[in-house]
Amino acid sequence: MKAHRVVRGLLQNSSFPSFLMLVLLIILNAIIQPGFFSFQVFRMNFMTFTPLILVSLAQATVILVGAVDLSLGAGISLVTVVMASLMQNSTLSMVLVTALGVAAALFLSFFNGFFIGYIGPPPLIMTFATSTMWFGTALLIMPTPGGHIPQAYYMIYGKTLAGFIPVPVLILLVAVAFCLLLGRIKAFRHLYAVGGSERAARASGISVTGTKIFAFLVSGVFIALAALCVVGQTATGDARSGQGFTLNSVAAAVIGGIAFSGGKGNYVGAIIGGIILGLLINIIYFANITSFYQEFMKGIIIIVALLFGAVPRLRRELSHH
Amino acid sequence: MTVLEAKHIRKSFVGVRALSDANFSLRAGEICGLVGANGSGKTTFARIVSGLLTPDGGELRLYDKAVNLRSHLDAERSRMAMVHQNLSLVPEMTIWENIALGREKTGSLALLDNRGAVAQAEKAMETVSVKISVRERVKNISPDEKQLVEIGKALAKDPRILILDEPTASLDFHQVESLFRAVRELKERGVAIVFISHRLWEVARICDRLVAFRNGETVGELDFAVQERNEKLIIPLITGQEVREKVRRRSAQREKEIAGRGERGYALELCGVSLDGARLTDVSFSLRPGEVLGLGGLQGQGQEEILMILAGYLKGYSGEIRVDGKPLALRNTRHAIRQGIALIPGDRQKEGLFLEHSVLSNILYPKVSMHRGSFFLPRGRYQKLASEAIDTVSLVPPNPRVIVSELSGGNQQKVVVGKWLALSPKVLLLNDPTKGVDVGTRQNIYDIISGLAEKGTSVLLYASDNEELIDNCDRVLIVFEGRIVKEIRGDDINEERLVVASLNVEHASPDGRTP
Repeated sequence: MKAHRVVRGLLQNSSFPSFLMLVLLIILNAIIQPGFFSFQVFRMNFMTFTPLILVSLAQATVILVGAVDLSLGAGISLVTVVMASLMQNSTLSMVLVTALGVAAALFLSFFNGFFIGYIGPPPLIMTFATSTMWFGTALLIMPTPGGHIPQAYYMIYGKTLAGFIPVPVLILLVAVAFCLLLGRIKAFRHLYAVGGSERAARASGISVTGTKIFAFLVSGVFIALAALCVVGQTATGDARSGQGFTLNSVAAAVIGGIAFSGGKGNYVGAIIGGIILGLLINIIYFANITSFYQEFMKGIIIIVALLFGAVPRLRRELSHH
Repeated sequence: MTVLEAKHIRKSFVGVRALSDANFSLRAGEICGLVGANGSGKTTFARIVSGLLTPDGGELRLYDKAVNLRSHLDAERSRMAMVHQNLSLVPEMTIWENIALGREKTGSLALLDNRGAVAQAEKAMETVSVKISVRERVKNISPDEKQLVEIGKALAKDPRILILDEPTASLDFHQVESLFRAVRELKERGVAIVFISHRLWEVARICDRLVAFRNGETVGELDFAVQERNEKLIIPLITGQEVREKVRRRSAQREKEIAGRGERGYALELCGVSLDGARLTDVSFSLRPGEVLGLGGLQGQGQEEILMILAGYLKGYSGEIRVDGKPLALRNTRHAIRQGIALIPGDRQKEGLFLEHSVLSNILYPKVSMHRGSFFLPRGRYQKLASEAIDTVSLVPPNPRVIVSELSGGNQQKVVVGKWLALSPKVLLLNDPTKGVDVGTRQNIYDIISGLAEKGTSVLLYASDNEELIDNCDRVLIVFEGRIVKEIRGDDINEERLVVASLNVEHASPDGRTP
């Protein structure tokens, strides 16, 4: 009886189809990418996967509350630019500027959350507007890529701790720990309630505004971590470095079973969605597809991934309605 | 002790006055009914008392202290719970999460105490006699179970004042009984309860006292300590007029007339229709032109499934459906509409209306979607059709430009009926069309329906209220566990027969009235 419930729960879980997709892609990737299971390749892969997973988590958080964040990529760019323009070679400077970068990311998210919570513009338009603001500011600070990131700082990202934990994986573990903690916090439960039905949440005495701001702040934490990864990866400040992340994060979250209507899905799905997107990019790269077709193929594969997610719903509808 | 006292409460919504002079008081350990027609201000009043709305004026005292009318999360209100008419549950969350919602307890380090919440939810579900796992998601449970979860959620707050707004609207006989049991237990413990309901016999049974609202004003009171528990005494308070004894409006004459029409064939025939999982088994009946056929029985026995199949929503049935004698496989809703089958759904806000669109657009959508021929829509003709429909259903106000969400519930329902008139359907399916609609509008809607029937439209009516079946149907089929177990005709249709047949036990004599 209990086992039956577990199986049913697993099949009904919103991230189950994406999990299947993940397994499929890992197999495909292992065939195409040489030495997929070697430690070196594992480490290299996670250097690109980690920021993708983090932005997927960031986007998932705001989608769960019923919003969306189109300024996420521009926010990352702005943080890298700020960090690269201020950082000196001293350890103290590195620590302070890192803290400043994190604070900046949190502020940008708070700005979005505050306006969306109190004034109530459609999040799509609001964050589109702020995205051009962040991008403009980043261009103002650094019209061309550059700035200075000390070697001692960006090398950390490629290091391996205790001989078997690459730093990107460590960052990911920190993010996962954060997710686990969130799952047991009151405000996070309210986030699902607000995303699921604002009216019901209000009738239950929940502060809808406060919950939306909370969601954006949590998202800001993931964005901050992602920005640090990008700095470690690129070792420069670049007003365009985050550009690709915005829609990739939306795609990753939705592939991971986060419902665009809000209130449905979970972080496990978001993480799987991020990895799926990383694997996709990998596969396209190693399959020697001409660069002209790469983006095209990526689009096709994302649609296939979305179809995967739609299978349980389609099956239900075809049988009942 | 008086726990709640409201004096001269006023409230208007953009130009419409909902409450003009509401007065109400409530003592600890008492159940007080609040009755009135739709739009009389009951729900508005309840929402003001529980802090979801701010009144324009008046005085509100709780436990003998004046309440800050502007603040929703006032401490004085913390021991007050309201069961909402429009459900306050989050569908994607589990039952226990919903019950704990907004008052989650935290243990050490501000972490949620999930185990405690589950235990509390299980206790609450036990009080309202729901036997489903609290780990089930709310979207997977039936409407009556949702209603009970809603009640459980309010009870879990351990309130001193409990406001129940139409709590029984979607419950069956047994569920109402267990609700009443829970309510009486609360009363014993000194909880003050406000019971808002259209079902007067329930009010008469459970309440100690009742207050009636009419057009936003308190118009009267009945104290059952001194007065007889009789719903007939309540009706004049609500309507402001004496009521005449109810007479069945269908006559034997009419029965003959319909039988005569039947000679020319049936509008709709079902032969051995079944639906997977025994949701329907071997359902057969036929419907004559101009006949009003009722579907009765306990709630959730398959009546809605029958309607949904005919409306083209449910596929995968077996058996044969014939419209005008022609066998037909209903492919989808569009196909059903083309065949002249129109459904008036139960949840008008969700399935019947585009709430933010005008009356005109709402009435014309079915017509427009079926438009064929010219590239441009014949606007003038359509507007004329719409105003005809508005006339027929006597919409208040009779203005096609009004946004539907601004209309009262009863008038919204008239729009739902009106939008099918332009298509002049052959078969009209009604899924509990007067749920949550006041007595006056209810009559209005049934007048429209019998008018259509007289013109030859066949009507298939499912109503959870037996009285509506008695008043309006030529024949009633009783559905029990997916089968048609009995047919009751003409003057044989009465409360007792309907109830006995619904329970599907011969010779049983129920000691109470079922809803």
